Amino acid sequence: MELTTQLIIYGVLMGLVFALIALGLSLIFGVMNIVNFAHGEFLMVGMYIAYLLSTFLHLDPLLSLPIAAMAGYLLGIMSYHLLIHQILRGPMVAQLFGTFGLMLFLRYLAMYIFTPDVRSIKQGLLVGKTLSLGWVTLDLSKSVSAALCMISFGIVYWMIYKTKLGRALRATSIDSEAAQYMGIDTKKMNALAWGIGGATVSLAGSLLAHFYYVTPTVGMLFTLIAFAIVALGGFGSISGAFVAGIIIGLIMVISGHFLSELKFTFVYIVYFLVVVFRPRGLFGW
Amino acid sequence: MGRLLKDIFSFEDRPRFERIGFLIFILIVLVFPWIIKSAYGRAVMIKFLLFALFGLGWNLIGGYGGQVDLGQAKNVGFGAYATGLMMLWWNVPFWVTVPVGMIIAAAESFGVAYPMFRLKGHYFAIATLCVALVWKELFVFWDWTGGARGVEIPIRPTPNFTYMQFGSPIYYHYFIFFLFMTQLLFMNWFRKSKLGYECQAVRDNEDVAASLGINVYRTKVIAYTITGGLGGVGGSFMTVYYLYIDPDFVMPLDLSILIAMTVMVGGAGSIWGPVIGAALLIPLDMYLGAWLGAQKRLGIDFMIYAVIMMFIAAREPKGIWGIIERMRKKRA
Repeated sequence: MELTTQLIIYGVLMGLVFALIALGLSLIFGVMNIVNFAHGEFLMVGMYIAYLLSTFLHLDPLLSLPIAAMAGYLLGIMSYHLLIHQILRGPMVAQLFGTFGLMLFLRYLAMYIFTPDVRSIKQGLLVGKTLSLGWVTLDLSKSVSAALCMISFGIVYWMIYKTKLGRALRATSIDSEAAQYMGIDTKKMNALAWGIGGATVSLAGSLLAHFYYVTPTVGMLFTLIAFAIVALGGFGSISGAFVAGIIIGLIMVISGHFLSELKFTFVYIVYFLVVVFRPRGLFGW
Repeated sequence: MGRLLKDIFSFEDRPRFERIGFLIFILIVLVFPWIIKSAYGRAVMIKFLLFALFGLGWNLIGGYGGQVDLGQAKNVGFGAYATGLMMLWWNVPFWVTVPVGMIIAAAESFGVAYPMFRLKGHYFAIATLCVALVWKELFVFWDWTGGARGVEIPIRPTPNFTYMQFGSPIYYHYFIFFLFMTQLLFMNWFRKSKLGYECQAVRDNEDVAASLGINVYRTKVIAYTITGGLGGVGGSFMTVYYLYIDPDFVMPLDLSILIAMTVMVGGAGSIWGPVIGAALLIPLDMYLGAWLGAQKRLGIDFMIYAVIMMFIAAREPKGIWGIIERMRKKRA
């Protein structure tokens, strides 16, 4: 019983982090129908920023949140203007390879700068502390990270659904051409989607670094997890990403507990089954 | 029969400069090991032919079929493991293991293609990636495949044509060249076959293809199945050439990407594209990798790939072959 509770709580906590990771991918996909293979590499950038701040400047990794978000935003905008804008007109194969190239570039740039060594954050306000809640003991860094991820998710959700800018973004996502006729600068909206996508995932990365090791190749795994979440939630659906994130978090933590070698296999199988048997996901249209 | 042989061996429909270029290429490859004596140079040539072989197979689904498959490494793995395990357990001759590996890879491809081709474009590409990763994790997880430790092939002291083990790389050179040429001739037949034209029609426009009476779904499934089988051949070669295989070596994601990339860079959907792509990328990889590795500059070679990849995607989706074709049209 205790184990079950613990597993479920950890699953939900991981799921909240995953949801924020998948948010950007879903947003970008919804607005311009392009899949970003470099998504996990944006996450890695956030993780390395947290790591660098904590190891070399001896700042608390929590302080890296705004820096990581800013860096992610700039990286997203830059990727859009320098690369994505160029490949949007090309055939689908070219789009795939374009973002794949971006992924390889960022991954091996990190390999060049940081070497393939596995690193982790050793000190910080939250690192290694636990939180006792009567019958369960929680990892403090995971709990706070999950809470911050949920808050960030809420802010982006509010921005997309309650502000004028968000409405323009949604209009672009539904029908880009019609949005253009209504006087919306769709190019700016596309760039904004990439900016928000980069900022949220990089922020999630700097939180994830609190309790997950950092290597240059860490990104691919999270890209695939994010794909599975976006597929399950429905491509382009924001609330879908939230629910699906928690479901995938639970699947990973629970299966990982019993069959730790194959915990990622289950995520891939979920993606496969969902896209094949229910391509529009839980909340897609 | 005569018609079939003509389709396989004839390059008559290609322009003269291509046929001359092809002849020169064959001559260079044939005399290569007698001119280049260094072991490293010969290894680069063998790896180039191996990746050209992989590229030819991938080109069927990725180039002619227009479906981006990012999981070809799983088929390489099936071929490699079929050869490796059968040799290890039962001493089965190499030439028996190759068709077995091809059949296993093709059967698996057929099995997953069936649900997978309900998907298109990005969804399909990610699904192929997931399937390949699941297989790789299973091969690491299982004990009977040797797990992460892999499979080591017992070394035979004398040159052996039954098990295809030789001391000198010259044998391997002609051996892989033979496999490469069979696949090239197969692709030469394929591009002129009914299935080949159906694939290209599906790639160019699925709706139009369907309205012409082509069964789009069936065409894709068959193309994917054949591609799976072709991928196994190179895997079998890897087993007897390297004499050691493990999941990280024969079925990693990087291998899938590199295979797809050689074809994209060279020119997808043309018969020479994979050869040109491999001729550019493999020597670059081997020499740059060795040179930078010696200087402890890990990753620069892949960054250069990535830049080439992004450039091709943004400016030349048809690859190097596209540039050559355009230049020729301009001159004509």
